[in-house]
Amino acid sequence: MAELRHGNLTRRRMLKAGTGAIALPFLGIAAPNLLAQGVSKSPTNVLDFTTNADVAKAEQEGQLVFYCHENEAGTAGIMEGFNKDFPKIKTSYVRAQTGALYNKILSERAAGRFDVDVIQLSDIAPAFDFRRKGGYEHYVSPESSAYKKDHLSEPNGYFFWTGVDPAGIAYNSEKVAVSDAPKGWKDILDPRWKGKISCKISASGLQFVQWYTLRKIYGDGYWKEFAKLQPRAFDSRVQLFDRLSKGDDMITAIGEYPAYFLFKSKGAKVEFVAPPDGLVSTPLVVGAVSRAPHPEASKLFVDWAMSKRGQAWYQSNPNLYYGSVRTDAPAMPTGVKLSDFKLLYPSDWDEYASQSATFLKEWNSMLGL
Amino acid sequence: MGSMGSWFSAQKVAGYGVAAIAAVLVLYPVYFLLQAAFDVGDPQIRPPTAYGLDNFSSLLQYPQIMLNTLMVSLAATVMALMFGSLMAWILTRTNVPGRRLFEQLMAVPYYLTPLLGALAWSLLGQPESGFINGIWRAFGGEGHLIDINTPYGIAWVMALFEGSVAFVMIAALMKSMDPSLEEASQVIGASRIRTIMQITLPLVTPGILGAAIFVFAEMLGSFAVALVLGLPTRYYVITTAIYQMIQQYPPKIQVAAAMGASLFAVMWAMLYAYRRVVISGSYVTITGKAFRPRLLDVGRLRYVLLSICLLYLFVAVILPLGTLFFASLQKIAVVFPTAENFTLDNFRTAMAMNAVRSALSNSLLLAFGTATIGIVLMGLLAWLIYRSRLPGSGLIEYIVMFPQAVPRLVFAFGLMWAWVVFPIPIYATLWLLLIAYLTVFLPLGVRTIAGVILQIDKSLEECAQMCGASWAFRARTVTIPLLRPGLVAAWLLLFIASVRELGASILLMGPHSKVITPSIVESWFGTSSELTAALALIQTLVVALAIIVLVVVTRRVGALSVD
Amino acid sequence: MPLSSLLLSRVELAHYPSTSDLGTSMPASPQGSPPSLSTPRPHIEVEGLELYYGSVPAVRGVNFNVMPGEQLTLLGPSGCGKTTTLRAVAGLEQPTAGEIRIDGLPVFSSARKINVRAEKRGLSMVFQSYAIWPHMTVFDNVAYGLQVRKVGGPEIKDKVDRALEMVQMREFGGRRASQLSGGQQQRVALARAFVFQPSVLLFDEPLSNLDAKLRADMRIELRDLQHRLGITSLYVTHDLEEALAMSDRIVVMRDGLVEQTGTPDEIYSLPHSEFVADFIGSANLIRGHHRPDLDCDGLTALETATGQLIYGMAYGRKAGPEMTVSVRTVHLRISQERPAGERNVWPVKIEKTVFQGDFSQIHLYWGDQRLVARCAAMEPIAAGRDVYMAVEPRRVVLLSPGNR
Repeated sequence: MAELRHGNLTRRRMLKAGTGAIALPFLGIAAPNLLAQGVSKSPTNVLDFTTNADVAKAEQEGQLVFYCHENEAGTAGIMEGFNKDFPKIKTSYVRAQTGALYNKILSERAAGRFDVDVIQLSDIAPAFDFRRKGGYEHYVSPESSAYKKDHLSEPNGYFFWTGVDPAGIAYNSEKVAVSDAPKGWKDILDPRWKGKISCKISASGLQFVQWYTLRKIYGDGYWKEFAKLQPRAFDSRVQLFDRLSKGDDMITAIGEYPAYFLFKSKGAKVEFVAPPDGLVSTPLVVGAVSRAPHPEASKLFVDWAMSKRGQAWYQSNPNLYYGSVRTDAPAMPTGVKLSDFKLLYPSDWDEYASQSATFLKEWNSMLGL
Repeated sequence: MGSMGSWFSAQKVAGYGVAAIAAVLVLYPVYFLLQAAFDVGDPQIRPPTAYGLDNFSSLLQYPQIMLNTLMVSLAATVMALMFGSLMAWILTRTNVPGRRLFEQLMAVPYYLTPLLGALAWSLLGQPESGFINGIWRAFGGEGHLIDINTPYGIAWVMALFEGSVAFVMIAALMKSMDPSLEEASQVIGASRIRTIMQITLPLVTPGILGAAIFVFAEMLGSFAVALVLGLPTRYYVITTAIYQMIQQYPPKIQVAAAMGASLFAVMWAMLYAYRRVVISGSYVTITGKAFRPRLLDVGRLRYVLLSICLLYLFVAVILPLGTLFFASLQKIAVVFPTAENFTLDNFRTAMAMNAVRSALSNSLLLAFGTATIGIVLMGLLAWLIYRSRLPGSGLIEYIVMFPQAVPRLVFAFGLMWAWVVFPIPIYATLWLLLIAYLTVFLPLGVRTIAGVILQIDKSLEECAQMCGASWAFRARTVTIPLLRPGLVAAWLLLFIASVRELGASILLMGPHSKVITPSIVESWFGTSSELTAALALIQTLVVALAIIVLVVVTRRVGALSVD
Repeated sequence: MPLSSLLLSRVELAHYPSTSDLGTSMPASPQGSPPSLSTPRPHIEVEGLELYYGSVPAVRGVNFNVMPGEQLTLLGPSGCGKTTTLRAVAGLEQPTAGEIRIDGLPVFSSARKINVRAEKRGLSMVFQSYAIWPHMTVFDNVAYGLQVRKVGGPEIKDKVDRALEMVQMREFGGRRASQLSGGQQQRVALARAFVFQPSVLLFDEPLSNLDAKLRADMRIELRDLQHRLGITSLYVTHDLEEALAMSDRIVVMRDGLVEQTGTPDEIYSLPHSEFVADFIGSANLIRGHHRPDLDCDGLTALETATGQLIYGMAYGRKAGPEMTVSVRTVHLRISQERPAGERNVWPVKIEKTVFQGDFSQIHLYWGDQRLVARCAAMEPIAAGRDVYMAVEPRRVVLLSPGNR
């Protein structure tokens, strides 16, 4: 779609005039900007990490638009961390579960709207797809050296794993006796959980991973059995644990460890089970978006997120508690390291991605739509 | 066809100009909605490559959703009519003390928004964690007393919070009944009961029927309550199904559009039926004269009736607010909390949430804009339709009332599609929300202002004409001063409607244009219920404060009493 | 000479259509033309006025003139188009066809495509509902027209005070207009209408919302005021008494058309049609066929179906073979004894007498036709009695043929 130059002028004029925040909502920031690719400069040091972005320019841009799959508090938390380090860059975000989020950015781009700087997804399949569509900006961060090849895009420079979200089984300890509690993934199929078990909606990347991996281990019939339990599906882990802690559900089939930790510390009567087959895990991928309205800020964010500083923030923020895959990452606040867990990943990401349509169809019809 | 003298062509331009704006606002999104509904080609390719009826036939795969919608809407309508009739009768026909006050208070559940009501009643009525059930168990009960996630639970909340329109309509009906019709019966010697059964009831029945149809149409389009209470148990009604289909991955846009178009057709038919019933002369009781209805002296029964009114208020206002407050102060909301469970963290977090602060200020700003632009736009439209006798005004009235038949969510859906491709970059900005609000509020605003305009005797303006005053002078010295109290009331109405709006805004929000009610929904689905409760309370408080400030300011400015 | 014959000669003098075909011994009257001197130009002229609401006719072709200083009243039952006509003159309704001229200048012409807006016509109007603006004081209401004309402050005060004085509402100046009674509002409406000295005043049934006593008083006041100010008035009412008392001339309307135009007396004494005869005061209508062989002394003889013979006067109207005459109820004389005279005396039988205070209504059988006579208060006559009825031939008015 043709670029809309007049939008460009408006923005520049606004910036020059130093218009206050109140005008922002009424600005349609729609004009795509030509990214000045330029020659890759030598990395500069800012705070305690290195970046290839032009920090001064980023601060001049003054804004960062972040699309994220996290729940509200989590997304706000990520933005808070970045904003604390770079107060001159105003952050704003849109959050939606991964499927819906990806959907949104695609339709916007199809209509010629390029308003997003960075996107974080909880599923690697759409990340692959986005890369194929040229949605990611190719930017190699100097921080990449701290990451294993497995945790970067292939080739490097499109996205990276900002963290891992592992999930096991969780149950309400007041409603479920220890003896009755599930021990492994097979136990959640017990008919006694009928109408009392929760999971996530089809837009969730983690749910997709769980579907794929457990199907691989236990066969096609596994999820058909699961459907007989008439599970309730929700958008966010906070909702799942909210209900779990109040007893509205007895167990959850996809209890994310970060959420468990958060609620336990609030005093909820929930318990976590790590099945012997492993904790289902999805990578949380972050990447700078191409044709971003604030290109330098987006690159700066990527560097920040990759850095030790950013990773520490991701790990320690109670709304996030991600497990970092940075090679020199410290332990999580709980004391455990990611490597202490047995993690279940799809072995072949491409095969996994190709199963997307099947998963969606099956999961959606299980949930009634 | 007579008109008031030859028109200055600028008036014609203004009149038709405003009509054209209204037509574009209303018809443009509807076109896109219908286009999507009939689009059977690849959803990613726009404009559509193929048209067909496949989307509609695929609706047959969802009979449960249709059934759910019918069931819930019917139950809610019946309940709303029951409450409405009872309260209307008590407050307009008996000598219960404090009638006037209660009548005003009956509007409060509407202002509190059904979303708030749904949140509160969810906290109260979840089978396991609900407060009421907790209390029930504490008293030795088994299991749960109520389950708010059932169709009846949903209908109950809908009736409580969206049913006040039933009350308003039936109260108006009862107030305009000619008391001499009943007096004639009593004079002949009929007992009170007989009078009620054989005179009063048959006379109000057509009006109540009309109200029933209207309320049913509203309930069909209800969204907030089913969203909060129905979604967790996968109990879908058409509006929430549409929402789900749009939000899920991959989205089923075309089927959603077909569903929306079908719902729109049904609602349109209902409203058509409503107009037929209303116009078909059933209103023998409604004359132009304002009657003073005779009040029934109920003696001792007064206090029983008074307690019914108080009970209603309790259930619809005090209990929900109290519940939310109670929940917002806890870490994990339970009905019998221990001391450590109390915290102010939820409020702290809510205040600090960037999204909240900007959402609130956006909402207030947007509401201000909607109300102000709205009364000008709708005032002109009302004048055009009901006073100007310009040709084509009947068609304009029809177009303006169109959005009544479309659930707001469905409208927003069409809007989303329509404005994404619009060359002016207003997508995901507050401007788009402004346009959406102005469009969906057209029936509300035009009707309210028309009511005020029609009350002004035409001869007051004609007389000014005969004294030699030009149109502008007349408008300034006679028309607008007379309209002012009504315009102020309309302004406030639009302001409040704008702040509480959910269905239209939830699809159209962007990163820079968050507004408060959808933000609360997002919070509900994405954070803890305690935090959401805190958010909802903050919103209510801020909006209530804003309204109080506005009412005070407008009274000072010399407006006559605001109803 | 009895008053009645004085009346008659005045009638003869004024608007006799034509005397040529009357071989009567009546005093000759001036030929055709209007009586007085050089006629001033009409102030308001309405020509061929038609007004249709879609396909529904409200005014179907109305013509009349209003002379300067005159009060012309449009009189008729509801739905006859009188208010619509008035509003068309005012400019508040747009006619479909015709022409309206004020002071010779067209303010509306369908042929020449002229339509002057109401506020520019320089007229003034008193509305049926008074249209007092509730959000202004009495003073401000009256001052409005002056403000529009950009009159200066002190002059406004002076004029308003005087106007209010004329309607005896001087002390109400500061009152909020919404606090007035009906009669008070009416006066304020009046003051407002003439304060800026318009040359024409339009009245749309201004007294119909008042009670009977007040109405009667206001009638006289209005009339006096109009004379004092010398304003030309176009007045609309459905009240017969009002029209007769106040008007210089009356236009009787029915179904969008003019039935008859004339002075109150003419309309009363010489109705053209059955409708006018019956609308203006109570009339007995008698049908029969012409007996030219019995005509004499300038009188026309009419024989009813049952053979009753009655003599009347044609007043210039054509006497066809079948005719209708109108006799006012007050002109039928009832007596116990047979009165003197040969013509128009009959024995009749009383059906019933209805006591009405100042007069009595006597229903009687004349042949097989029921007639009504109105007599000043008298002793009630028992039903069934035989009495005599007589009427002066000149009171028996021939109606124009084909006028039902």
